[in-house]
Amino acid sequence: MSHTVLICDDAIFMRTMLSDILQQAGFDVVGEAETGAQAVNKYRDLRPDLVTMDIVMPDMGGIDAVREITRDDPTAKVLMCSAMGQQALVVEAIQAGAKDFVVKPFQPSRVLEAVQRVLG
Amino acid sequence: MDSARYRELFLTEARDHLVSINQSLIALEQSPPSTVRGGESVNELFRAVHTVKGMSAVMGYDSVAALSHAMESLLARVRAGEQPLEPAHLGLLFDAADALESAIESSSVQADAGPASALDVTSLVDRLQGRSGSASSATPLSTLPTVRRRPPPGSGGVVVSVSLEPGTILPGARAQLVVARARTLGAVLGASPDEVALLADDFDGQLALRVATEADDATIARTIQGAGSVATVAIARDPDRSDACENAPDAASDPSSTRLADLPPGADRSLLADASERFEAAWGNEVLKAPLQRYVRIDLRRLDHLMSLVGELMIVRGSLAQRASAHADPMLDDVVTEASRLVGALQDGVLGARMVPVWQVFDRFPRVVRDAARTLGKDVEFVVEGREIELDRSLLEQVADPLVHLLRNAVDHGIEPPAARVASGKPPTGRLTLSASRERSAVVIRVADDGRGVDRDRVLRTAQAQGVVDAEREALDDDEILRVISRAGFSTADRVTDLSGRGVGIDAVLSRIRALGGTVELRTGPGTGTSFSLRLPVTLAVIPALMARVGDEAYALPLTHVTETLQLTRGLVRTVRGRDVIVIRGEVLPLLHLRDVVGCARGDAATSHVVLLRVADRTAGLVVDQLLGREEIVVKPFDAVRGAATCFNGATIQGDGSAALILEVSSLL
Repeated sequence: MSHTVLICDDAIFMRTMLSDILQQAGFDVVGEAETGAQAVNKYRDLRPDLVTMDIVMPDMGGIDAVREITRDDPTAKVLMCSAMGQQALVVEAIQAGAKDFVVKPFQPSRVLEAVQRVLG
Repeated sequence: MDSARYRELFLTEARDHLVSINQSLIALEQSPPSTVRGGESVNELFRAVHTVKGMSAVMGYDSVAALSHAMESLLARVRAGEQPLEPAHLGLLFDAADALESAIESSSVQADAGPASALDVTSLVDRLQGRSGSASSATPLSTLPTVRRRPPPGSGGVVVSVSLEPGTILPGARAQLVVARARTLGAVLGASPDEVALLADDFDGQLALRVATEADDATIARTIQGAGSVATVAIARDPDRSDACENAPDAASDPSSTRLADLPPGADRSLLADASERFEAAWGNEVLKAPLQRYVRIDLRRLDHLMSLVGELMIVRGSLAQRASAHADPMLDDVVTEASRLVGALQDGVLGARMVPVWQVFDRFPRVVRDAARTLGKDVEFVVEGREIELDRSLLEQVADPLVHLLRNAVDHGIEPPAARVASGKPPTGRLTLSASRERSAVVIRVADDGRGVDRDRVLRTAQAQGVVDAEREALDDDEILRVISRAGFSTADRVTDLSGRGVGIDAVLSRIRALGGTVELRTGPGTGTSFSLRLPVTLAVIPALMARVGDEAYALPLTHVTETLQLTRGLVRTVRGRDVIVIRGEVLPLLHLRDVVGCARGDAATSHVVLLRVADRTAGLVVDQLLGREEIVVKPFDAVRGAATCFNGATIQGDGSAALILEVSSLL
């Protein structure tokens, strides 16, 4: 059975791209969220194997969402999606429980490597 | 990474962000960033720029990414309070927003053009960076000397020395992952450099940890490698004689090392506090909380397709009702009635889905007005009212250009320069209002200024000089003024400015609005200002129409233009200078024959009717053979062959499946 993924990003463009990368690699994208709050709710409903999480999002950012998700489920596997120049935020996200990160612009191979590391 | 699909998504989304960038900039110009509102604007601006940066980097649109990155850096500094936002910065950001717009548009067109599309943002980027100081220019990793780490402080445990791959992105964050991984093996007793130093720009990717673990070397190495971008892992079992770590004179007193007690994972206050302090300082919490909207983006073509399916369904409904009525079966009638009700509800629903609030277009206008006012040296306060009023999306898009023209026109010709306003006892700042309101089945969009008003005498003189108005006329009323200034090529502007006054203005506005089935009204008073009111149907997809027959064909006359119908009797028609006219209540109106219009011989029809049609202030009679009644018709886009009759602007399909052409009334008159 393929791994299930929840994609969280406020830009539909990013969600589409990530979704394509992951689906082509055989993952099952079971949900998308546009805000941190949505991500937390959807995580509770869907219990995906993996979450990709943007950092800057409206209505609860990615870091708070990671904190909430890992509080509910300490084994949650969250992969942060960051832009250049957000190192402090990425570190905070890791402190909050994120398992790995990728930096935009995404290269499909980088994304998949990080996903494998997180799931492995 | 580039395909038409992503490009389209990128473009739509990036354009939305551009609108919000411009809005925030205008808000900032009006209230300094130190105020609460200004702070929100900086945050919104940052968010929009940041998102554009991320998307364009993925698409490989380097110039867009470079520009938005430079904008973002400047904004970050402003938000952190490291840099006041001066008017010069705003000007620069406005320029950057424009450049960003053209970079976005051109990048998506010539995605493969490479250097060509990347050429002229560099000077702007330099300027943005010049203003924003050089604090952010980090030295590239590769030029840093590679030194091996001091051993971590403390004693006991296993010393794990890790070097990250050269060129690792965000090495500090990657190192943090190494620490987090190490923590799964056991308590981390010490780290060098300390976790704060990991975040510094000069972190070189070398770190050493002291870990209290029972795991074997292979497990340690595998676990650490799992953090990613790890080049080498060296493990030293004897902490007192660490050969993995050179240059270790006095680890205990090394101020850059921190002893981390056996804190549980996730509880390293030092690093966490630092990171969040930096973040709070830089952005505060509010940056993460943008207003939430519950919208789904839909391609307009899908809505058009749905609408056309609903149209087909309405036609089927019509013929179903016709056939059912021939059967006199009450059960069948019930089913048909229920089906009709549902189709009606479906039609309302789809039409509703096509409706969008006018702000989706109006929000572009503050920038238009600002730019026009700046160029012309006017002070203009721009007020938008009725932003939430809804209009069919395709209609709204088509009124955007006419509105831009009217707004620029108002700034250029309506509102006086500040000195002139003060001289005539007005406040120096002019007021320009754009409002939308719902009036029965129409939406009225009004552009009103408090400027000098149209110069009636000059319009009259020009009109007389052009022979449009009798020489003996002494005054023109508002409707006549509109008719005169909307004649193609008419202009009273003394000078031709960049913005308006080329004489191609009002006539283009009027013909566009009329083609949409709307009307335009002008009101103007000397010294008190001018207003243009555009009255538009709420939707173009379904319109009420009067169906009329000529020969064997049916035609649809949009009801918005029909004022009256009457039976044609011999005595009504007169001939003046070889033309048919009709006299209604003492008024002589031109009379057209639909048979002539559609190229059908004027036979002796058994009965004839006259339909009185009105567009703005022009009225004419149209002779048809027979009136078939009023119907709600579904308008089908009409692909007229070039050179074909221009008096039709669409077609509809009737209950019996036959087509009827829709007359474009304004072209007839």
